[in-house]
Amino acid sequence: MPTLAHLLHLSPETLWMVAKVLIVFGGPFTLASLLTWVERRGAAMIQDRIGPNRAALFGKWRLLGLPQIAADGIKAFLKEDLVPPHVNKLVFWVAPLLTFLPAVMGFAIIPFGQSFVSGGQTYHLSLLDPGNGMGMLYPLAIGSMAVYGVLTAAWSSNNKWSILGGMRASAQMVSYEIGMSLAVITVFMRAGAYDPHLIIQAQLGLWNVLPQFLGFLVFTTCMFAETNRLPFDFAEGEAEIVAGYLTEYGSMKFALMYLSEYVHMVTASALIVTLYFGGWRVPFVADPGVWLSVLAFVIKLLCFCWLFIWIRWTLPRFRYDQLMKFGWKVMLPLSMANFLIHAFLMFKGA
Amino acid sequence: MAILIKQVELSWLDRTYVWPILKGMAITLGHFFRQLFTPTAKRFTIQYPEMKKEMPEGYRGLHELKRFEDGSVKCVACFMCAEACPARCITIEAEEFSDLNLTQGFEEKRPKRFEIDLLRCIFCGMCEEACPKDAIWLRKDYELVGVDREGMRYGKWDLLNTYAGLDGKPVLTTDPKPSTPSRKEVACS
Repeated sequence: MPTLAHLLHLSPETLWMVAKVLIVFGGPFTLASLLTWVERRGAAMIQDRIGPNRAALFGKWRLLGLPQIAADGIKAFLKEDLVPPHVNKLVFWVAPLLTFLPAVMGFAIIPFGQSFVSGGQTYHLSLLDPGNGMGMLYPLAIGSMAVYGVLTAAWSSNNKWSILGGMRASAQMVSYEIGMSLAVITVFMRAGAYDPHLIIQAQLGLWNVLPQFLGFLVFTTCMFAETNRLPFDFAEGEAEIVAGYLTEYGSMKFALMYLSEYVHMVTASALIVTLYFGGWRVPFVADPGVWLSVLAFVIKLLCFCWLFIWIRWTLPRFRYDQLMKFGWKVMLPLSMANFLIHAFLMFKGA
Repeated sequence: MAILIKQVELSWLDRTYVWPILKGMAITLGHFFRQLFTPTAKRFTIQYPEMKKEMPEGYRGLHELKRFEDGSVKCVACFMCAEACPARCITIEAEEFSDLNLTQGFEEKRPKRFEIDLLRCIFCGMCEEACPKDAIWLRKDYELVGVDREGMRYGKWDLLNTYAGLDGKPVLTTDPKPSTPSRKEVACS
């Protein structure tokens, strides 16, 4: 690291920061586009179909349909970028960015591997170093920002379906955030810290998922709601409101919105892994080292991404009143109960 | 009368929703792995240009005009098919010819022009039923394409050769020469 930094006339810190930015921005982005492929092929397999397998590199190598991603990207870029005449142009243009940025930014705090010492300096494998004072509050705050993207997209579209989808999505996100926050608070309470590095440190030996299984269930369900994925797919209920807040979007703007859903999914999986599955921890290995820890983190991450896809093709969409009832009357009391049980146990000294 | 909807009483296990969801997930994962490990040939999806569907017996696809062993047309231009055709897509022009070989016997009629407008044809198979000579068959070819309307008017030679490649028969472009002089010619000399 220092030699490379010297060659590039950079300080090792700057180089490391640049590398981390590339990893943290490029990683979820690449993973998200891969997930679109996984989603399509996986959905096809679940439904006894085959899925997209025709796109081929130079008309020759099909590679299990992976070039479909590139083909979709090229298609999205080359399509006419239609802005309907009745939309609010400025907000309409800003909305995809507002959806996309929070999805990517949320990943910044996640430690994706064990910190290591090189040349007398500690390198942390997360974009924001520990002790920044924001901790896990940061991804939650950023995650809540995602609602602005959905809402501005819906509002600027000046379309009944869009606004219905946007309103539903925002109501849903706000409702589920409360249950989620209470579940997370329990994790903070048990770890005695809200810095992800410290939370992972506290999960040495026993991952949070076992003592806080209820919290894990609530948090995962709320993450499904936060990412607007089925069975909480209200923002774009095709059967009822065409495509919800995406109705007026086309070409690359649509692709960006669509991709941000997957980036959001990656971030949500990373959050679940960090909070409940020990982050980069490897079972039965106290000190796994950099590569093994990164590998463990990525494997866990992929498992949860697959869970998101798997659930999507298993469960049908809720009805709106069921969703609200579920959020307020089930999720919130459950996370409250989880919180109180752990508070009581800690009070008793267990 | 009002319709009574049967109310299903859920057990406490079902009311948690966790267990039923897990069951559902097991079902979908089972389908996923079953489909993943099924070889392509055995999947439900037929990968069209590489694999083709085997049509069932009695399928009515593209017509074939049948021929005798020596290559001459079985059709005797009796116009029965043209009469039977509800879509009126068959056009026949008859001509006389003489061919005293064993398969055909006498001086006969044969189609000079036999044309089916496949854009009009409804593939009902009435022509096949009407034919007294079993000369027109509807077989299993369903890949009918043309670049223009004219191209979809299949003439005599097209119809005679539609399945030539499939059956391993030679492609014909002319009627075989009569093996013996016609009766008319004999009478003249």
